[in-house]
This record gives sequence, structure tokens and C-alpha cells, in this order.
Amino acid sequence: MIGELSRLRNIGISAHIDSGKTTLTERILFYTNRIHAIHEVKGKDGVGATMDSMDLERERGITIASAATHVEWAGHHINIIDTPGHVDFTIEVERSLRVLDGAVLVLCAVAGVQSQSITVDRQMRRYKVPRVAFVNKCDRSGANPARVTEQLCEKLGHNAVLVQIPIGLEADHQGIVDLVRMKAVYFDGANGENIREEEIPAPLRHEAEARRELLIDAASMFDDRLMEAALEGRATEEMIHAAVRKGVLARELTPVFLGSAYKNKGVQLLMDGLVRYLPDPTEVENEATRADRENGESKFVVSNDPRDPLLALAFKLEDGTYGQLTYIRLYQGRLAKGDTIVNVRTGKKVKVGRLVRMHASAMEDIEGASAGDIVALFGIDCASGDSFTDGSLVASMASMHVPDPVISLAVRPKDKKSQDSLSKAIQRFSKEDPTFQVAADAETGDTVIKGMGELHLDVYIERMRREYKVEVETSPPQVAYRETPGRAVDFEYVHKKQTGGSGQYGKILGSLEPWSEADFAFENRVTGGNIPGEYIGSVEKGFRSMLAEGPTIGAPVVNMKVTLADGGYHAVDSSDNAFQETARGAFREFYPKSNPKVLEPLMLVSVETPREFQGDTMGTLMQRRAIVLGTTEDEDFVRIDAEVPLAEMFGYATVLRSATQGKAGFTMEFKRYAPAPAAVAEELRQQFLEKRQAGK
Amino acid sequence: MVYRKELNKRSPLRVFERSLHGGLGKGNIGVVTSRKGVGKTAFLTDIALDDLMRERPVLHVTLQHSVERVLSFYDEMFGELARSQRLEDEAETRLAVERHRHVLSYKGIKEFHLERLRESLGFLAQHAAFRPEALVLDGYPDFTAVTAAEIAALKQLAQDFALELWVTALHHREGQPQDERGVPLEVARFEAYLSVIVHLEPQGDHVMLRLVKDHENPDLAALHLELDPRTLLLRWS
Repeated sequence: MIGELSRLRNIGISAHIDSGKTTLTERILFYTNRIHAIHEVKGKDGVGATMDSMDLERERGITIASAATHVEWAGHHINIIDTPGHVDFTIEVERSLRVLDGAVLVLCAVAGVQSQSITVDRQMRRYKVPRVAFVNKCDRSGANPARVTEQLCEKLGHNAVLVQIPIGLEADHQGIVDLVRMKAVYFDGANGENIREEEIPAPLRHEAEARRELLIDAASMFDDRLMEAALEGRATEEMIHAAVRKGVLARELTPVFLGSAYKNKGVQLLMDGLVRYLPDPTEVENEATRADRENGESKFVVSNDPRDPLLALAFKLEDGTYGQLTYIRLYQGRLAKGDTIVNVRTGKKVKVGRLVRMHASAMEDIEGASAGDIVALFGIDCASGDSFTDGSLVASMASMHVPDPVISLAVRPKDKKSQDSLSKAIQRFSKEDPTFQVAADAETGDTVIKGMGELHLDVYIERMRREYKVEVETSPPQVAYRETPGRAVDFEYVHKKQTGGSGQYGKILGSLEPWSEADFAFENRVTGGNIPGEYIGSVEKGFRSMLAEGPTIGAPVVNMKVTLADGGYHAVDSSDNAFQETARGAFREFYPKSNPKVLEPLMLVSVETPREFQGDTMGTLMQRRAIVLGTTEDEDFVRIDAEVPLAEMFGYATVLRSATQGKAGFTMEFKRYAPAPAAVAEELRQQFLEKRQAGK
Repeated sequence: MVYRKELNKRSPLRVFERSLHGGLGKGNIGVVTSRKGVGKTAFLTDIALDDLMRERPVLHVTLQHSVERVLSFYDEMFGELARSQRLEDEAETRLAVERHRHVLSYKGIKEFHLERLRESLGFLAQHAAFRPEALVLDGYPDFTAVTAAEIAALKQLAQDFALELWVTALHHREGQPQDERGVPLEVARFEAYLSVIVHLEPQGDHVMLRLVKDHENPDLAALHLELDPRTLLLRWS
């Protein structure tokens, strides 16, 4: 069990795909002595970096799953939560951000701040994560850490300041000057494991002093003691560290470290820095929601106290060599082997059989864990995002925002025998990832998977193949449209049926209208018992049953409010069933009169391109019904932000690549549903009618 | 619930336009002056939003802020307007507003030159078929430092692209020489290039609008318009 919380760090390493995050992680694991040989991401030795536990990630050189790895450094325990590097896996990113207390933002010294960094940074801001930056790849040609630091300020609005300067760049990158200690640091030995400290080389002396002054200026804004001392020229190391730390915790200062993970330079100093500047669990406020019978729901800040009742969040499920693993973060209380804990969502009690701490490729059985820590449980049945308590507390960690899927495609195993494995795979994935959903196509009987983007689903199809040995055929991706009433209409509807046996009777009056506040709302204004209370619910149920497939294009009906104003019943012939049928009849007749609108998902697309390709890039967007929101120009690059209908974005990566010689990059995330243009709506309507015709 | 068209008819900006005998007019420069933090940018956004609601294309240029920040400012003001005026066709109106608006940020540029803006205007017309009728220029010119040649170039830009061009100027708390109308001399010296000057004056907890210059008109209309200090929107009657 980890003793002092002040010696615990839960951190994430977050970065653009090509900035060398995995290599950096690998080096960290090496220096903390947990693995014994260093493997490159796309390793020549075919072994691959240790954090990338899935084959697929290994092949693509990107990290998808967020495994938590435990290391120790300078007397501190550090849990490294590996955050995914692609925005299509937003929910995974958000889940990791939920459990970490601080992060290292890795940037490439050549490419600098890219569109991806902007998206990740936006998410970190949302989750209030304090950051330090690491400018990697200083050995590459074109490396310019000072420029990257400027970009951090200009593009991301950070108050970024270098705490180091490089000794040589590009092929001549030899070491680092530590601006706090004012020493030159070199990394000797085959893997840079031997640190040698020297005086600062004479030619760098002047620059080092100037940069140190900038650092002290920036840091002294957070500490009067340093400001006074600096004026008198007696700022100490300890004072500078303390002031920088304050700035970081306030999320108003980003110290910038640099080096080259690949060339084994600077990683140990970064480790010192993150232990020194990033917060321990008690220095971060985490909110939970308490459910109380008398007071309803209320928010409270978790205590981090091991003596308080247990509260833990399951943030990641993994199905690997060791069976099912559930990663949890403890926010208060403690947990030991043999304890019985309660899943707050299901109310089910489960017994903690095995408790482990995960290292990159090995695991260690532990007896217990306490508040602030991240560990993994074996054989616990739960979904990602579930909260656990000891049963004395009915509370859950504030839920993460789960967006509705915007894209779907049908999957069918090529080989009939694989149907079982396919079901297993899908069941597994939807448990791991709430944005990955599954449904059955009512007409074709096909299995339909839904997610947040093309790449998101691609990854799961690959995983089906690799982990479950299922080859699947897929349909072209379908956009998840919605429909909604266009204006308010009043209805009056009578349902009457008297053909033998007991009859059916129901009468309802009211209105249905657009309603932006919820997908569906139902208001009952019936007075005087014109419809008996027991049937009001039947009417609501009847309307609700019609929402799954609207009559306009067969898409789910959203943003509709039904107000039931009056009605009538028959003592014998009215029933639950009859009133449900009445509501369905009213919907069928009156909803089409509300001038229904088709809604399509709009994606927020940010393209970053060299200025010379601004026109071509703009062209690729204009062809896609884009609403260009804005452009941001700096000296060489232009960023274009646009809203583009998802339906127009298929294959965009290829188009953009060829229009810009591969020099532009883009990110995409779901923004909102918006009315589709009439022509698009009409086309969808025709398709729906044809499909329905064919089905008959 | 009201539709966008009715809303546009009732907008306090119609009062503003009538007082100006039709508005700023294409090819002209209008200046909004006030002390720091009173709501110059908000008022310009008000003007822009009103244009957008009437499907007149607006280019919003900023030297200090990110595109994201400016957009969120519009979003807030639009949201407030839609809520307070109970706008019926909100989703379509939002799309229309977005289609007609472009935000251009030069935040990452060390030194801004009008030539760059001229290039961008040409570029937007050519590649995005975007030809603004109004341009809100936030952060330029700095009247304390700008030269007559630069103001002349700004006027030329407004004329070449047939723009209603709005800029802001700062009133200092003290020690700033002003003419008899209360216009800072650093602004007044370019009077020949400026068609409209509006001053925002905090009075108690609200902000009144005062027309200081209206083209060549000697009789200045009293505006009777104020900004709501909470929403920074013009107050609707």
C-alpha cells in the first residue's frame, strides 16, 4: 500500500501520434527499472514498446488502450495512464483525463503544436488538468524548442516557459542546460542512464542567463517570496521550484522540458520535473454525486482520506492474457483483498478476489490499496464508468459525458461458424466503450455496430479479426440521422374498434411540438378524470413506442414534446392497450403534419495547413457543404475551423493528403445535430420509401 | 414564440439605423469609443449579430483572441437572444448565422499589416465565395500610434471591398486630451476618414449609447439605447 499521498502522482502522457509518446513512455519505464531492454515503437527487433499491449496498436504505431502502469521514481509512486492519441477515441481520452491528476503534453520539436494537440489541450482544459510540456525529438533536423514554446503560448494560450535549453540541436543535440540549477547535463552510457553534470559551456552562458531570467520572471508571478528574492539577486533553487509548482497547480504556468527520448536525452530530468511540479491526489479537487433519499442528488468533493468510506471508479476494462481486468481509481477509503464492495449502478455486491498493480508487461499481486491510488481488479463484472463503494455510501463519481453514436455499419461474419465469436467480441467492446453500441437491423437481421467515426469502428473491426479471429464483411458506413417535428400541431384523435369480443376505445386531445430541451417530453394537463389516471401512462407509452423509427426517413424522432390536454374513455372498452394504440394513431396522423425536419450530425473539423495550401484546403471543405467558421493565421500555418456534415467526411483524410502533399492534418469531433438541407432530406426520404417498398 | 423575421423588425439596431439615417453605409468607417471593459467588443458583436440574423455576411477580425473564443462569444449572445426573445426557428437561424459569419484571427502574427487583411479578403472571396458586407475589426488600429496614411489605407480597404467597417477606440480614465464632444483627440484628428462615432457611457449599472458623429449631419439624434450590463446585449423594448 502506498504510504504518503504526497508521494503519489497519477499522470497521463498526452500527445500527437507522431510526437514520440510511446518512445518516451518506454524510456520512462526503462529508467524506472521495470523493463530491461528498450524496444522502439515499430521495433526492428519485432518486440514493440511495452505499453502498447494490443497488436493493432503495435502495427499502427499508435496507442489506443489506456492501460495504467505503475513506476517508482525518486521515492515517489507514479501511475502512468496512457492516453490514446486519436480523437476518434474521445471517450477513452476523456476517461483517462477523469482519473489523472496531471499530465505531460508531449510535442514534437519540429512539427510543434498541431491540430491534434489543440484538441487534446481543449479536453485537458475541460477536465482542469495541470500540465508540464516536453518538447521531444530535439535531435531531428529542423528542431526548434523555443518556437514550440512560443506556439504553446500563441496557439494554446498557455503561459509556457522553458526550464531548460538544449546543448546543440538536430544531429548535434548533446545535452541540456538546467536553468534552475544552472548546470549542463549530459546523458552517458548506452541508454543514457549515467547522468554527468558539468559547467555550462561558455557559448551558451549568455543565453542560459537570459532564459533563466525569463523563467524567474514568469515564476515569481506566483510567489512573492521569489519576487523579492529575485529583485535582490538571491533566488534559490528551492524558491524557483516552489513558485513554478504553484503556477502549475493553478494551471497558469506550463514549464517546458526538452530532449530526445529516442536518443536517451532529458527523460530523467522530465521525471524529476513531473514529480516536483505535478499535483498529488490531495491537491486536485474531484467531485462525486451523492444520492440521498431526502435531498435527492448533491455534489461533494471527495476526501482522499483512507479512513472514509470507499469510493472508487472503474475507468477501464481490459480483456487480456490474464482474463478480465478492471482498472479502478480510489478516491477515498481503502480496499483490500477479500473485501465485499457494491457496484453503485447495479446495486450488486462483489467480492474482491485478486488485487493487482500493473506494470508495463507484468503484474504484481498486492494486499490492498487506498485513496488516491490506481490499481486493477480481477474477475469483477462491471461496465466502464461504474462506481464502487463499501455499501455505506450511495455515491458515484460524476458521470462522464457519453455522446450518442453518429455512424453505424452492418457487420456479418464471412464464416457462419464465427457468429459466436462475433457476439462475444461485440459484447466485450460495448462493455469497454460506451460509445460503441450494437443493434440488430429490423429488416435484414444484420448486426449493426455504431460509433463515433470511421476510424473508431475500423479499430474494432480490426480487433475482431485479431483478438477473436472473426473475419467480417461490412456495409458502407451509415450516418445516424434524426428527425424532429418542425412546428407545433394540435391533435384530436379517437381510436375505436368494435369487431367481436371486447372493443377498444380511447380519445385524446393535445399538441405535439418541437422541444429543444430533451429528446422527448410528455406533459399531462388532463383534469376532471376525463382520462383515468391509470391510462395517462399508457398514452405516454404509446407515443414513446413511436420514437424509434419516424415516418419521414425512418430515423429516431427527437426533440419532441407531447402535451395531453383532454380526452375521453369508455367504461368497458378502454384499456392500457387501447390508449397506447390511440397515441400511436395520433402520432401517425398528426406528426407528419408538423412539417418534420431531418437532422444530420455536424462535425467540428479543424484543418491545419501550410499557407501555400490554404486555397486547396478551403476547396476540399467547400466541396463538402462545410460551414467555415473561422481561420487562424500565423506566420507559416493556417488553421481552418469548419462544421461539416458527417456524411460528407468519408474518405476526407485521403483527399486532404493529396490536395496538400500530405502536409496538412485535421481533427474531427462531433459538434451537434442540425437541420439538413431540403435536397438532402428529400434524398433520404426517397431512399427510405424505396427501402420500405422493397421490404413489403 | 417569434420567428427570425419579426425579431429583426423589432431589433434595437433598427432604432440605431434610423438614428443614423440608414446606417453606416458601405465604404465607411464607424468607431465605437469607450473606457476599457465597458463593452465595445460586445456592441460590435451586437451589430454583427444583427447583420447575420438578416443574412448579411460579416467578417469578424481579431488580433488578440482565438477563433474559438470569438465564436463562443457569439454563441453566448445568440443563445441569450434566442432565449430572451423566444426565437422559434432557432436551429435554422443558428445555421444561417454561421453560414454568413467568418472569424479571422491574427493572434499568432507578430506584426499585423492591412495588406495581410486585404489578401485574406481576396482569398475568402475567391476560394470560399465569402464576400462580407460588414467587417468588425477588433484590435486595430491603435489610435495612439496609427498614422494618417494607415487610416487612409483602412478607408481605401472599406471602399474597395464595399464594407461597413467598424473599429474601436479607447477612452482613458484621465489625462487624455478630448475635444468639446468628448472625443479623444487621437481619434478626432482622423475625423475626415470616420463617418460615424458612437460613445458608450457607463451610467450607474447600465451603459448608454451616445451618437457623437453621424456622417455630415449636424443634428445628432438622441439614441435612447442601452446595453444590458449582464448580457451585454442591447436592451430590447
